[in-house]
Amino acid sequence: MKQDYFSANNIKFIDYKDIEILKKFLNPNGKIVSHKRTGVTAKNQRQLAMAIKHARFLGLLPFVVK
Amino acid sequence: MSDEEVKANIEEVEGVEANSKVYELGYLLVPTIAADDVPVSYGNLKELVSSLGGENIADEMPKMISLAYSMTKVISNVRSKFNTAYFGWVKFTMDAQKVLELKKVLDLDIKIIRFLLLKTVKENTIAAKRFVRGETYKRPVKKENETATPINKEEIDKEIDALVAV
Repeated sequence: MKQDYFSANNIKFIDYKDIEILKKFLNPNGKIVSHKRTGVTAKNQRQLAMAIKHARFLGLLPFVVK
Repeated sequence: MSDEEVKANIEEVEGVEANSKVYELGYLLVPTIAADDVPVSYGNLKELVSSLGGENIADEMPKMISLAYSMTKVISNVRSKFNTAYFGWVKFTMDAQKVLELKKVLDLDIKIIRFLLLKTVKENTIAAKRFVRGETYKRPVKKENETATPINKEEIDKEIDALVAV
């Protein structure tokens, strides 16, 4: 089984400013990849989704990629 | 110390800790500010935070970024569209009640396109850059004319010893 990215890299708090990490969890259209595909724990997936949404609000990440 | 005194002490400590929490303010400044004036706006924001009893933990200078999508803001009845902005952030501890005041002040600031106030943790949350896998090992191209140099066993032994010693 694939290991959770965040525990593997010892990341305890997912920051919305860390867009390089967040980009890994977006599909080519800019949608958040489901936890089934990411293999991230439920807790981290929730934090991740929140961080991506915060980054989107501040224009760091797109809502949609056309 | 009697039990009551201890209890009072704990309450005092908790009172201070419970009311002041760690917050982070991320903001986008309008790109119409001249590059030289950015530190001024940045200083003003930090001053505003400290004037409301905020204790600065960490921050970053606003820097120009291109936005992922265009944003609009109505400034004095004119709708302006922005594709770039200065993005900066401040992390601070502040009283929970004071944060509401801070939000009200920021809402009225015409230099800020958007801002985001979050509860966060005191520790540095930006993950340090780890090794990049992009640089894969490439086999050195062998020159045809190159002749193999004879291997000196003693030298290699010495080198290995030096490595082991470390």
